[in-house]
Amino acid sequence: MLQILEITFRGEAMEKFILSARDLVIKFRLRGKVLTAIRGVSLDIYEGESLAIVGESGSGKSVFTKSFMGLLDKNGWIDSGSIIYGGMDLAKFKEERDWLKIRGKEIAMVFQEPMTALNPLKTIGKQVKEAVELHQGLRGKEAKEEVIKILDDVGIRDPERRYNQYPHEFSGGMRQRVVIAIAIACRPKILICDEPTTALDVTIQAQILNLLKDLKEKYKLTTIYITHDLGVVANVADRVAVMYAGDIIEIGKTEEIFYNGQHPYTWALLSSLPQLGKKGEPLYTIQGTPPNLFQEIKGDAFAPRNPKALEIDFIHSPPYFQVSPTHKAKTWLLDPRAPHVEPPEAIKKMRKRWKEI
Amino acid sequence: MFNYIIKRFFQSLITLMVVITIVFALLRLMPEEGYFGEGYEKLDEQQREAILTQMGLRDPLHKQLLDFYKQLLRGDLGKSIIYRPKVDISIILNDKIPYSLRFGLSAMALSLLIGLPLGILMALNHRGFWDKLGTAYIVFINAVPAAIYYLFIQVYVTGIFKIPMLYSESNPLSWILPTISMSLGSTASYAMWMRRYMLDEMNKDYVKLAKAKGLSGPRIMLSHVLRNAFVPMVQYLPSAILYTIAGSIYIESLYSIPGMGGLLVTAIQRQDNTLVQALVLIYSSIGIFGLFLGDILMALLDPRIKLSKKAGAR
Ligand SMILES: Nc1ncnc2c1ncn2[C@@H]1O[C@H](COP(=O)(O)OP(=O)(O)OP(=O)(O)O)[C@@H](O)[C@H]1O
Ligand SMILES: [Mg+2]
Repeated sequence: MLQILEITFRGEAMEKFILSARDLVIKFRLRGKVLTAIRGVSLDIYEGESLAIVGESGSGKSVFTKSFMGLLDKNGWIDSGSIIYGGMDLAKFKEERDWLKIRGKEIAMVFQEPMTALNPLKTIGKQVKEAVELHQGLRGKEAKEEVIKILDDVGIRDPERRYNQYPHEFSGGMRQRVVIAIAIACRPKILICDEPTTALDVTIQAQILNLLKDLKEKYKLTTIYITHDLGVVANVADRVAVMYAGDIIEIGKTEEIFYNGQHPYTWALLSSLPQLGKKGEPLYTIQGTPPNLFQEIKGDAFAPRNPKALEIDFIHSPPYFQVSPTHKAKTWLLDPRAPHVEPPEAIKKMRKRWKEI
Repeated sequence: MFNYIIKRFFQSLITLMVVITIVFALLRLMPEEGYFGEGYEKLDEQQREAILTQMGLRDPLHKQLLDFYKQLLRGDLGKSIIYRPKVDISIILNDKIPYSLRFGLSAMALSLLIGLPLGILMALNHRGFWDKLGTAYIVFINAVPAAIYYLFIQVYVTGIFKIPMLYSESNPLSWILPTISMSLGSTASYAMWMRRYMLDEMNKDYVKLAKAKGLSGPRIMLSHVLRNAFVPMVQYLPSAILYTIAGSIYIESLYSIPGMGGLLVTAIQRQDNTLVQALVLIYSSIGIFGLFLGDILMALLDPRIKLSKKAGAR
């Protein structure tokens, strides 16, 4: 309760957008055919917030956020739309030189795979130092001191000794701390964490998440978490965007999504949470497969997998319907003309608690 | 690190001893004429036996092997029998090695100077013009028997530029073509390895991270990719280089260069058993030494090798 109040309070303070994506379309060419990975996504990110992007594998979470840094694979491109950051339209960037102004300095990224993300032949000190020299302009002894301070900040004990060690001398969790240290050393404004804990074991996951939360406060970062794990979301995010087949189908404050989710896909995601299932009953799983991105998608992309889909879901794609000033969803169920559709049991229970709050 | 070197050193030593023993054994299987100089025909059975006994070749095998080792330890490679009868093999080699060294070193320098940059260029220009051109060259060198383009170069290029066909000490112009020919193969190998290892590295995750932290493309290439690609290269370089220096057997005979390679061919043709034995030993020691050196260099450059013994991660 207290936590929720606090989030609301903070929500009012953050009015400024730090990054705005508008109608972003991203395509890839694969064996001569073109697939549309991101289908007209718009998203405003508030300065200082912590946003989670959730969705199944292949929904486009990584592609979407990589496009903010010009890190799309070579066979992909931004087809239309804009990404406004600091008065610039990143979607218009053509040359690597333009991106060098953004990468690290403005937006940094922590990847999923800490075991391979570091150069095995360079000491971790040097690898962090590269970022310090590049983005903080420090040299020599000063740079080294800064690196040691950052290593300490990310919870690496005995940083002076660790400075000269190589990645293979670190465990997975420790390597992820080094990767985070590199990102922090760039002094970015936005930190994107692409499934930062997926490859780690559970106890380490919690440590890394706490570290990221602390660093966010300390360095006043705007953070974007990409995850399949709604448990992570509840833990770290102010807002949640639910992504499906290359579109954000629902977005709102974390508690709005958890307790008052509106899109049938959000329901499905929530119902598959172990915490919401009943003991002894099999866990809910979403039937069917995501749509083929090589073909144009008609109507609501989730309709074919939704047993209670409306007729219109197959014909017209729904616009956003505002649920609250901070919460909107793309589902025809929110249209005043729509028939009443009962959400699943688990969701109904959550809603009851929402009303109580 | 020190322990690693010692360990690798003893491994090499054992390999060398195995090779020596095999060479020794093989030579006992060779026809015995190879131990007689001129006039083998004129000797009768008894005289032959007497000579062989005197040379120790009728002793029990284990004693022969032991003697052989003792002799090698003294640095004595034995005496030539047919090629230059009764002359110490080390003296013969002393005359030959400078030539092989001179051509080998220049060919090596040439192929490193061209091969490595070519490989780098091919990797940077992956699937582009330079990559295709380089690949065509590598395929050509590997697919066409060397003898064909060696001959082609010798016959036609000498004709076009009016250079003497054979090596002559006094005419430096005649040194050019053998050097170039010798470097063609290793240039292709260096380029091929370099390209492959660079591409391997370029696709690794750490390059993505380096990019994400804002390093420029050239900087990533120089301080991450190139350096890492050299580590696997370094393992093969010493043996490749040593072999080039040891002289190209074929090219030396083609251009009549009085080097080690030509010597081996002659020794085999004329069945000079002790000389063949000595040369085979030299070539194998060079190979074993090259591998040893490669492993040591690799361990120096790759921290993961040094620490393989200690419990690393925590
Ligand atoms: N280089 C590429 N070439 C072709 N298609 C690609 C490429 N990269 C991504 N895609 C496609 O874009 C879609 C979105 O991929 P993305 O990696 O963003 O998914 P994701 O939501 O991050 O999934 P995960 O949770 O598995 O990481 C997928 O259908 C994927 O196949
Ligand atoms: Mg992903």
